[in-house]
Amino acid sequence: MILVEDAQRAAEPVELWSMAMQDGAVPAIPAARRNVTVDLKAMSTMDPAVAAMHEAAAQETIVDGQALDVATETPEERRVRFERDAMQYVDQLYSAAMRMARNPADAEDLVQEAYTKAFSAFHQYKPGTNLKAWLYRILTNTYINLYRKRQREPLQSNSDTIEDWQLARAESHTSSGLRSAEAEALDHLPDSDVKRALQAIPEEFRLAVYFADVEGFAYKEISDIMNTPIGTVMSRLHRGRKMLRDMLADYAAERGFKAADATAAAGSNKQENRK
Amino acid sequence: MSDCQGLGDCDDARMQRIYEYLDGALTHEDISEIKDHLDGCPECFEQYDLECVIRVMVKRSCTEAAPENLKNSILDRIHSSNPVEA
Repeated sequence: MILVEDAQRAAEPVELWSMAMQDGAVPAIPAARRNVTVDLKAMSTMDPAVAAMHEAAAQETIVDGQALDVATETPEERRVRFERDAMQYVDQLYSAAMRMARNPADAEDLVQEAYTKAFSAFHQYKPGTNLKAWLYRILTNTYINLYRKRQREPLQSNSDTIEDWQLARAESHTSSGLRSAEAEALDHLPDSDVKRALQAIPEEFRLAVYFADVEGFAYKEISDIMNTPIGTVMSRLHRGRKMLRDMLADYAAERGFKAADATAAAGSNKQENRK
Repeated sequence: MSDCQGLGDCDDARMQRIYEYLDGALTHEDISEIKDHLDGCPECFEQYDLECVIRVMVKRSCTEAAPENLKNSILDRIHSSNPVEA
């Protein structure tokens, strides 16, 4: 019995991927990577107690209190259930799509495509699991297949080739010990600067930061959505957040906000490096 | 290099600790330990505070409403397609 359940769980990510690739897309992720999520629990660096709490919390959010028999559901019933449960996330998925596609028209296409795929695969969604994370995962897969493919870039392109100077600058900012005036200066930045800073950091870092900071997904949920091990999620978050912070400090300096002095003192050679 | 090593022996370790704290990825024991430390250490608190500010900014900046017609066109597509039978 346990074996059967495990096998089902193991099959899940693969089903999702093949579903997202049904239009004959070349898999953007090597086959070997696709099964990575299967061992997520073993790879988790989370305290087991905390992981258990997360899981319990996840259970709570989804259970609608009704015993639902997906197998005997009519298409009309399923459609109603989809509209009731899934359509409430359109704004959120659109916001995420804007971080992926970079312009409103593409973001709309992406969300529409993701919802269409989600609807046609809705019988695979297991009631009682996290629906929002499931939708995000489909959105991410759709993005990878539809858009990244066009850009002809390998998925992992930037992970290991972040420019050294970016990290060095991040280090210099952190090690300087930013003043709380810095925090105040950053807080005055307009939303457009924050979006610009996010767009400027490499995609897999940006999306990890987005999923964690905006959506509040747990590491394990992000690893499911992005189909990467938890350790990778954590390192993407760490580096992505440092880059974001560094970028924002630069923008504050450019705008001449007060903390600029502290920032400039922290990385005296950064302007040079940027050129 | 930070002077305080209360949250880790280097800046990376300290920030990682703060991230995990904010991400809710720690045990109750760790959480209260870090809380106590932040209360008594202005240097680490500054780092923590800055991170909080950034998160609030990111969340605020990235909350966008989908265009009106998007929801309708999704519904149109759903209504004109047949869901796959389980």
